[in-house]
Amino acid sequence: MTQDDKLLDKALAGDDSSRRSFLAKFASGVFAGLVAPALMGEAQAVSAAPAEQAQQDLVPLPDLPDAVEGEHPVVRMMQDLRRALQKPMAERKWAMVIDLRKCTGCNGCNIACVTENKLPPGVTYRPVMTETSGTFPNVKRRFVPRPCLQCNNPPCVPVCPVHATYMRPDGITIVDYDRCIGCRYCMTACPYSARYFDFGNFYGDSEGGERQPYELLPTPEYGRDYDRASGASPIGNVRKCHFCIHRIERGDLPACVLSCMGRATYFGDMNDPTSLVSELIAQPNVMRLKEELGTDPKVFYLV
Amino acid sequence: MMTTKQRENTISRRNFLKVSGITAGGLAAYSALGTGFSRISAQAVQDRLRTKTVYTACVMCPAECGLAVRVENGVASAIYGNNHAPLNSGVICAKGASGLQMAYNANRIKYPMIRVGERGEGKFRRVSWDEALDYIADKLLQIKAESGPEAVIMDAGDVTDRDPYYYLFRAFGTPHTVEHGSICDTPRRHGPKLMFGGKRVEPDIMRPVMVRQPDGSLKNDYSYRTRLIVYAGWNPFTATRIVYESRGTVEAKLAGARIVVIDPALSNTATKADQWIPIRPGTDPDLFAAVLRYILENHSDDNPFRRYIDWSFLEYSQGWEEFEQEFKSWWDKTDPVNGLNYFTLEWAEQRTDIKAETIAELAHTFGITKPAAWVWGMNGIGHHYNGYVASIIGTALNVITGNMEVPGGAIDTEIVKSSKGGNASGGAFNRREVTRRINGRSVTGTQEQLHMDWYGDWPAAWDDVVGDYPRRFNEGVKLRYGPFRGHEYPIRAFFLRTGNPVITGSNTQAWVEALTKKNGDDYNVDLVVYIDTPFLETGMYADVVLPEASYLERMSLSDIYPSHPLIYLRDFVIDKMYESKSQYDIMMALARKLHEKGDPDINPADFWEKYPTEEDFWNEALKVSPGRVNAGVPLPYPDYPVNYRILGTPDSLEAGRVTIDDEKKEIRGEPVTAQWIRDHNGVAVWPMSWYRFNNGGVLQTDSKKVEFVWDYEVEKDGETQRKGRYAKYNKLIEEANDTPPALRALGWEKYPRSFYWFETIWNPYTNPDYVQYKDEYPFLVVSGRIHHAMSGTQMVDWLGRIPTEDLWMPFNDERVVEEIIVGADGPAPTGRQVRVPKGTWCIGVIQMNAADGARLGLKSGDLVELSTPLGHSTRGKVYLVETIMPGVLRLPLGGGGRFSPGLGKTYDFRDVSPNHNNIVDPDALSPIMGQPAYCDMIVKVTKV
Repeated sequence: MTQDDKLLDKALAGDDSSRRSFLAKFASGVFAGLVAPALMGEAQAVSAAPAEQAQQDLVPLPDLPDAVEGEHPVVRMMQDLRRALQKPMAERKWAMVIDLRKCTGCNGCNIACVTENKLPPGVTYRPVMTETSGTFPNVKRRFVPRPCLQCNNPPCVPVCPVHATYMRPDGITIVDYDRCIGCRYCMTACPYSARYFDFGNFYGDSEGGERQPYELLPTPEYGRDYDRASGASPIGNVRKCHFCIHRIERGDLPACVLSCMGRATYFGDMNDPTSLVSELIAQPNVMRLKEELGTDPKVFYLV
Repeated sequence: MMTTKQRENTISRRNFLKVSGITAGGLAAYSALGTGFSRISAQAVQDRLRTKTVYTACVMCPAECGLAVRVENGVASAIYGNNHAPLNSGVICAKGASGLQMAYNANRIKYPMIRVGERGEGKFRRVSWDEALDYIADKLLQIKAESGPEAVIMDAGDVTDRDPYYYLFRAFGTPHTVEHGSICDTPRRHGPKLMFGGKRVEPDIMRPVMVRQPDGSLKNDYSYRTRLIVYAGWNPFTATRIVYESRGTVEAKLAGARIVVIDPALSNTATKADQWIPIRPGTDPDLFAAVLRYILENHSDDNPFRRYIDWSFLEYSQGWEEFEQEFKSWWDKTDPVNGLNYFTLEWAEQRTDIKAETIAELAHTFGITKPAAWVWGMNGIGHHYNGYVASIIGTALNVITGNMEVPGGAIDTEIVKSSKGGNASGGAFNRREVTRRINGRSVTGTQEQLHMDWYGDWPAAWDDVVGDYPRRFNEGVKLRYGPFRGHEYPIRAFFLRTGNPVITGSNTQAWVEALTKKNGDDYNVDLVVYIDTPFLETGMYADVVLPEASYLERMSLSDIYPSHPLIYLRDFVIDKMYESKSQYDIMMALARKLHEKGDPDINPADFWEKYPTEEDFWNEALKVSPGRVNAGVPLPYPDYPVNYRILGTPDSLEAGRVTIDDEKKEIRGEPVTAQWIRDHNGVAVWPMSWYRFNNGGVLQTDSKKVEFVWDYEVEKDGETQRKGRYAKYNKLIEEANDTPPALRALGWEKYPRSFYWFETIWNPYTNPDYVQYKDEYPFLVVSGRIHHAMSGTQMVDWLGRIPTEDLWMPFNDERVVEEIIVGADGPAPTGRQVRVPKGTWCIGVIQMNAADGARLGLKSGDLVELSTPLGHSTRGKVYLVETIMPGVLRLPLGGGGRFSPGLGKTYDFRDVSPNHNNIVDPDALSPIMGQPAYCDMIVKVTKV
């Protein structure tokens, strides 16, 4: 019996503490999406993959010509991801760097995230704020994408009455939809307003009354297939950006990072001194939002 | 719906709280077996395994980025950029990512429909494809018999995979196959067209570019060499047509380039500029001319701080002396409006509202900073009556400063991109001989010589432009030039495919009148056919509506403006929805119908026998790719002869599997095919090089040089030949001894040989004819481009929630609306009521300077009416901001007053959002090519 199977058994027995640790383990599995059926006993042939196999099943790197110098940022970041995934989860520390000098305000990240995570109306994990100041002709405007800042001291976590939200060993704060009771204390606690409540709305409901095919697909969050269209979780839960865990653990970049029109968003392991994000975080022009609150975010802005 | 059993299961310890937090509509929480894990079936697992990624080309906008679309069990589930397509290099904008809500929109046209009410009522009945095509074919053959095939216009609209329609209608016999360029930005393209045979000058900031290395290998170059980019009236961050200018501009800036944006409003591009220079609308040529004069007056070969001109341009140019002389001939003339000499700094300050020293600094900076690019845009230059002048001077500025084709400089993307189309465009049909009876005389010429513009009032309307409709719908055509001079015919059929001229093709009311005009009981234009995926305003006036498959359901090719040849496929991603058909399907179905009904021009050997599958047709279009010559440094293919045309797949060219044809000067590898592209990450890429103008290279002019004179004579084989871009039209004019009306209005007899100047219209600051209106109509109106919410995508919910550039803002009031959805019989109420809460939906607004608003006693959100001296008006809510210069109003083009019920919530707020084209002067067609002057109008503002 593998470690995963033991955890599965515990989970099936209804042991909450083990379920939590299971989830932590589970979300790091490459075949995370396939574990759930195993749990249900409906797809016995499918089981969690060993780590070595996992490396082979990562999404392929883009097949690009060699660079004269430097590298395509997507390739560089995907290589950073691969190195990080070889380490135990607790030794990784995922971080995001957003270069505000390069954000063109296109909102590509915002919508790519909405489509990737199948977010309903009113839920946007990564809105892009517009800040305008000054008087004509001395006016300036900047765009500030605001994902979950993945605080190291997340104010949202201690307020949860059922321990449904917690920080994983790799630094990503997640919501266990199966424990979340929808009380929304965490939404109040988040100083960045980065949490959203899923009221169970669908785009099709306010346009013709028929749900569209793309919103009937399960949401892939946390490597699971949440069949939201049947009325299940995450409806009634609080939802938030999770750095697209289900993508990064396949060796792929978060939706917002891959899509960014200005190539303004970077992602990687800040525990790895050779990663692109580590280089960028060391720049003198780094800032974080509401630093004074002591939340210690892992989303950094270059200004 | 949830079953009772399931519902019971959900009521557990934790769901008590959960349910309390859910609205009635969304009541649900489903977990199974008490484990807390939601149920997922074995089937669902299998479905997940059926996930695939398909490379294709976007067409949510004409940038046409390379896409990687994820398909789960047959459903497109997420859209990403294709990392292998260097044009967008993996990135994608909000609009591109939103493609799902276009393909799966409730308001898609689902079935063929035939009108049952009057035009404009929007009443239709569902019919079979057979009935719809029968109707169309009968009408077409009747029109052909009575008025000739030239009475038919096929407008292939705002997106670019138009070849099947061009092919069919050219075969049918009409030369009127047109595309959106006719209403887009022709003045902007004019200078490059005259001087290079090109179209769009863009900075060299597409990265990566694949470059031949000294060791023979091909490598991706990511370096930015640009030191300065001037964007005049060009807002690439929001327009995104040239998608790499988003990441390229910010990267180039970080790599040390200076960015200057010249625009009346703080555009998104201006937010990233080192300098934003607000300019009075319509005065771009004035600024450009002042910059050129400053450079000519202050250039010094001996002073390195004033060495603006790089004389090496003379090696690949001709006619500069004459151009310069013509330009200088204006220097001593006095401007009747401001009393100053033309093109001086002070003169330009009066006109542009930019300080003289700022202009001098800009000119000096552009002159000494190399490499640099002077780039001008669509709304700023392309939408003004005299945008041609700016376009010509802008092109000259790039050439004389030595910036064309240098690394980090400026590139005319039109002449370096991959060719496509070839025989699949049906150009050969246009060269067929046809005979017409004119004044009792039988005359023979080519089909093309029947063209209503090229041989009518607009001989220079190249680029598939039809400049003069809807007027021709009312007045008919009388040809002035060529063999068919004197030939008269009506316009009786208008086919529109992906476009919406009622809202975007000049004055809306003029279009409505032309499409609804009657002769007795019958409509003046006998047949209007609307072919598209969304149902837009022009569809309301159609007799037949045909559902075209969305871009995820069909094949064709990318139409893009990269720095070097590359091309990719638009491929089948999902199955065709409802009863929609691809362009290929529609072409073949209508061709068969015409053939069955005896049309002698439709030959099976040209259609289904030649291209039995959709892929065959597009493989034909790929046969001419990349079609550019082997030129520049580093030479793309050093083993092959220079200046020979390159054809074939990158791998066959690389491996030497080629035939070299010295007669035709061609290097022919294995033809590019759709399957080859699929097998190679969805894209074909050929090498980049620079200095491609040297020795002729990629230039498409008669002399294979940059031409500053456009009608000149050369001696060849003892004969005198007329050459240059205008020569052809001037010959026609001379032969007929008849000046095109628009040129006559400028006081010209024919197209000028070299530099020319004329003023824009409806501008009291530059044109003496309009000074009288200055006080009563104090605001100049321009349009702004809200890329993600332009004409055809405003039903996309995701985009309706993203405020943009102070033009597209969540200014809706709360309304409960009767829901209307485009059903089988056209738009129809569903019987449901939908509440739209206040501030949740973006609508087009009128952007106004805050000080102007305060003076008028307005506050943001107030409804105002804009009215013009011509009596046109539109209404909308004002948004008072600091991001626009005083005295200027900016409206979104196609962003308001939208009265097609197929536009969802946008339709619901049509009464409080402005339609820019309601106030455009319907007769203001720019004089060279006939494009509407969208951005030349003045208004007064009245609170409603």
